[in-house]
Amino acid sequence: MKKYFTLLVGIASLLTACNNDESNTATPDPGSLSLTFENIVNGASLSMSPTTYINNTNETYAVSELKYIISNIRLIKPDNSTYTYPVEDSYFLINEDGNKTVNLSNIPVDTYAGITFGFGVDPTQYPIESGTLNFIPFAEEAGMLWTWSAGYKFLKFEGVYSSATAPDDETTFVYHVGSHGANLDNYKEITLSFGEFQIASENTISQTIQFDVAKIFDSIYTLSLEEKNDVQVDPINAPKIAENVSTAFSILE
Amino acid sequence: MKITKYLILILFIWSCSSESGNGESVITTDDGPLTVTNPLLDFTVPANFPDATYSILQNPPTEKGFELGKKLFYDGQLASDGVVSCGFCHIQSFAFTHHTHITSHGVDGQIGTRNAQPLHNLAFMNEFTWDGAATFLDTQPIIPITSEVEMNETVSNVILKLAADDTYPTLFEEAFGSEGVSADRMFKALSQFMVMMVSANSKFDKLERGEAVTFTDQENAGRAIFDAKCASCHAGALQTDQSYRNNGLAMDPVFNDIGRERVTGLPDDNRKFKVPSLRNIEVTFPYMHDGRLATLEDVLNFYTDGMVDSPTLDEQFRRPDGTFGIDITPEEKVQLIAFLKTLTDNDFIEDRRFSEF
Repeated sequence: MKKYFTLLVGIASLLTACNNDESNTATPDPGSLSLTFENIVNGASLSMSPTTYINNTNETYAVSELKYIISNIRLIKPDNSTYTYPVEDSYFLINEDGNKTVNLSNIPVDTYAGITFGFGVDPTQYPIESGTLNFIPFAEEAGMLWTWSAGYKFLKFEGVYSSATAPDDETTFVYHVGSHGANLDNYKEITLSFGEFQIASENTISQTIQFDVAKIFDSIYTLSLEEKNDVQVDPINAPKIAENVSTAFSILE
Repeated sequence: MKITKYLILILFIWSCSSESGNGESVITTDDGPLTVTNPLLDFTVPANFPDATYSILQNPPTEKGFELGKKLFYDGQLASDGVVSCGFCHIQSFAFTHHTHITSHGVDGQIGTRNAQPLHNLAFMNEFTWDGAATFLDTQPIIPITSEVEMNETVSNVILKLAADDTYPTLFEEAFGSEGVSADRMFKALSQFMVMMVSANSKFDKLERGEAVTFTDQENAGRAIFDAKCASCHAGALQTDQSYRNNGLAMDPVFNDIGRERVTGLPDDNRKFKVPSLRNIEVTFPYMHDGRLATLEDVLNFYTDGMVDSPTLDEQFRRPDGTFGIDITPEEKVQLIAFLKTLTDNDFIEDRRFSEF
């Protein structure tokens, strides 16, 4: 063992080529991008309960909580090459009742035309490699960890609803969507195109991404709360919600 | 030679890593800078084992990281009551199980719903806990730390407690080469400790590796029965194919534990639990996910006479005539138990590296 260790130290000291080198002065100072996620319904900013909305199944609903995890941000350049934001810093919680802005710093000066990001946390990546271990306490405080499982809720969407047939009968609904062990992967990646914009040295560009809350119920799939008002570990409905969510983001031009 | 492969791979990690694992680091103390030597530990895959599933390269165990992980493992500060540490339910002399209890106890004397599983060879497991609710070793501790009937704490609060502790900040710095108590480092240190818990020195292992041991006639007879009637699930050097199966236990009326279905939501997974490794099975009593069977004799009697039918009962137990169970004669049971006792690894159970004191 000692022999190998000595050998290793010797060789490792030769491999300095891939150490961080921040002395390259030819690269201009980076800029920043501020991404705000605006939750909307019917084209206007979401108002929380007691404001009510109606879904395509004629159910009236009011939202008491809306949180989701955004991750793995990559910026797309006009030539389709990408800049990957450091993965260990790339986990964000969007909370309708809290922070909705993602501040990305140290972005190389360049022209960008689009963005790819994850909904949730990619369950196939090792937590060390993907840097999620330091996100755990934060997700926990936000109630975005399952308690019985070592996994995340990607979406926490709760409120009350009433059906068209019983409008005075208010019932709570709970949509908690995440991955189910290694069995079911509800992680989604979303790619959106911007008009071209320039990240300039020591400047912050702001962009807004809209999240259409109504599409949680009505998009690829039409989901009825009357049919299922408690979706947690649900291998039928959770993937449908995740697919609907993946269509709900758009760029505010 | 597997060790060479690992060291070479670790080398590539090292050369680009800015953190620890590189032998020496200088930390700040009240008496000025102090050079800390933190050699890499030797994680070797036993010759009769499959490749490790844990990515050693991402978190190579070091001496200081292992020591930190061990201290955390035995520290009640990880629980809300300051008492119930990981080691409280995972006791080394019972291959890190909680054998005096049927299901395991947590804070305030609360009783969990399942029997603490042994901890060994975790670096070779695909998923963790009885139902596979943890897919990575590094995140598994979230479950016991946050479970109300186990340690009833929050990860955030554990980090606060450790950061405010007299000794932990220094231990974290020694282990990882720079200041900072973080969740990332806590989980890495716990993994470094647990990954090193390799049990591979049972009589069975030694025989597998062609070392100088022989089985008695009874152990050999037991092995033949095991290979014919048990090894389709309790497969290989780890005695588990790591699948989830319903082995015909009657539904427990107290816990009504649906098993793997809780993780997947799939009715097909109802009442299925992880096929456990049988390593150290002699000392990890009681048996089954809820500890309902006290002895190995009880277990074998259950398989011959105690199973109940249900829609998800594993097909391997079904006989062509519609009945189910495993056919084992009383004499074969004695032989099987003799074989099962060859899976006991006393070197591991008594290994001072892992012991609390």
